[in-house]
Amino acid sequence: MIWASWRRQRAQLITLLGMVVIGAGVITLLRSNMIDAINSSQLAHCVTQAIDECSAPAEVQKAFRTEWATPFQTAQILIIGLPALIGVFIGAPLFARELEQGTHVLAFTQSVSRTRWMVSKLVVALVPALIVLIVLQYLVWWWLTAAGALGPRLNGSFNPVNFGIDHVSPVGYALFAFALGTFVGVVSRRTLVAMTVGLGAFVVVRFALSGLVNDLVPAQRREVPAGSDVDLRQGGGLELEFGWLNASGQPIPHDKVSALIQACKSTPSGTPNTQEGFLACLPQSGLAKKYTSFIPESQAWQVHLVDAAIFGGLAVLLLVGTAWALRRQS
Amino acid sequence: MNPLTATAVGKRYRTRWAVRDCSFAIPEGKVVALVGPNGAGKSTLLRMAAGLVRPTTGELRTFDTPVNGRIHPDVSFLAQNRSLYRDLTVRELTRAVAAMNDRWSADRVREVLGLLAGVDYDAKVGTLSAGALTQVAIAMALGRLPRLLLLDEPLSDLDPLARDETLRIIMTEVADRGTTVVMSSHLLSDLREVCDHILLIDGGRVQVDGDIEEVLARHRILVGPVAEESTVEGTLVSATRTERQATLLLREARPAPEGWAGTEPDLESLVMGYLRASRERRSSA
Repeated sequence: MIWASWRRQRAQLITLLGMVVIGAGVITLLRSNMIDAINSSQLAHCVTQAIDECSAPAEVQKAFRTEWATPFQTAQILIIGLPALIGVFIGAPLFARELEQGTHVLAFTQSVSRTRWMVSKLVVALVPALIVLIVLQYLVWWWLTAAGALGPRLNGSFNPVNFGIDHVSPVGYALFAFALGTFVGVVSRRTLVAMTVGLGAFVVVRFALSGLVNDLVPAQRREVPAGSDVDLRQGGGLELEFGWLNASGQPIPHDKVSALIQACKSTPSGTPNTQEGFLACLPQSGLAKKYTSFIPESQAWQVHLVDAAIFGGLAVLLLVGTAWALRRQS
Repeated sequence: MNPLTATAVGKRYRTRWAVRDCSFAIPEGKVVALVGPNGAGKSTLLRMAAGLVRPTTGELRTFDTPVNGRIHPDVSFLAQNRSLYRDLTVRELTRAVAAMNDRWSADRVREVLGLLAGVDYDAKVGTLSAGALTQVAIAMALGRLPRLLLLDEPLSDLDPLARDETLRIIMTEVADRGTTVVMSSHLLSDLREVCDHILLIDGGRVQVDGDIEEVLARHRILVGPVAEESTVEGTLVSATRTERQATLLLREARPAPEGWAGTEPDLESLVMGYLRASRERRSSA
């Protein structure tokens, strides 16, 4: 059974293997070229240090970033796009092509059950695709890690692009795209419809749900007195809320806050206020504290797990739907 | 135990009934010709018997087991479009189909593929001629060692030689293993040679069901003057009339009155008579 599925998807699997081999070669080459470029420009210490601590001349850094921006982006787009490609080219045609050509009748009139047939096809199609995705994702991660602060990592884990290519998120997206493709394929019985509708629906859902995950992970909250000069904004963390509290700890509406701050910028006599006068004015106007709630960068893995759980859960539902639709198929 | 029985089976696609209120029982060992006009519901009936389509009403049983979305282990089905994996070679296809079955006879498959000119195992299925393709499809069906073989238009697209050879393969199977066969076809003259039972479906309903010899013996074709048609006794199935002469197909006919010539119909004219009758019914409805 597995052999039969493998034989029928052989061309596809060879393509996947080719992608991995070429991808691994290209990324390894790019990475070693990049390390050479970093060393020859004497930027090595800028990889690990924060941007303002790096002592290399700004124009050298800028030249490096400009030169490597396109390769970095291409690699990121590859990992962002792979789940969609898996859905369109592997998930969508998997059953749609059989139904379109009528070859499902052959399988349905043998002693193997429809569900077992479905599972064997799913496994043979999905497992290699996921392995390829994970390998390429790892290679890109390995390369971007070598670039460190000189590369896209600088934007932090919660940058939408960085988030989308990290940890288990790509696997979650790929599962969802694949399951969506198979489901639409079985329901529509048309390969082309499954590919286009599947892709459209995947893109819409992927972006519609991208914000949802942030509300499902427990956020941290920090408060500081109004006059404090501590920077609440966490480097790399994801800020969910920022605002002001009054003396009793209640949040103050944003429009009111800006009016009060504006008022504090000048003295009652109309001259611009001093810095000390401004800071003293704030608590007097009722702006007692600043607060922020955020997800620290160190908690990013939790967000990834929840993200993958959401898309993985949707994928399971869609696969159950696929099995149901196949059982009703004639 | 009947290999195939239908009890008030109906299948509706949206608003149209493809099969309606069909009841019959196929006796064991028969070679049944399933005939009827295009869209009569022949394919739907066979696909329901193979567990591909679920009936809207009624029940089909194969070997006394209700067909419930799965083909019975003793039944094989040959689809009209042959539904084979065309990008595989014959050898690979054989291996793939064998893997999908619990009971499988590689010897039987080899035997069937070796019949006639023999099929090249290393040829891609998609490159085979229509005749060889049918032979491969039948070999796959017989590899399951069925006791009931359902063939949906096994002779369509075949040239006369390939038709003859395909029928010979089927007849060999019947002779060797006593397999019950139900085959749908439009090619009545070919069916006559191999079939001993007829099931005529039209408008989704059974019109004729019985052994061909008996059915033919029950019918008469009478030819006589149009003006004296009222003297003929029996149930009129259909008639064709020219200015003077009427040709009538009758069921349970009495001896021909004076001036009329009576003969037993052959299978072709019998089926044609029924098809003509149903067309007239439809156009008058």
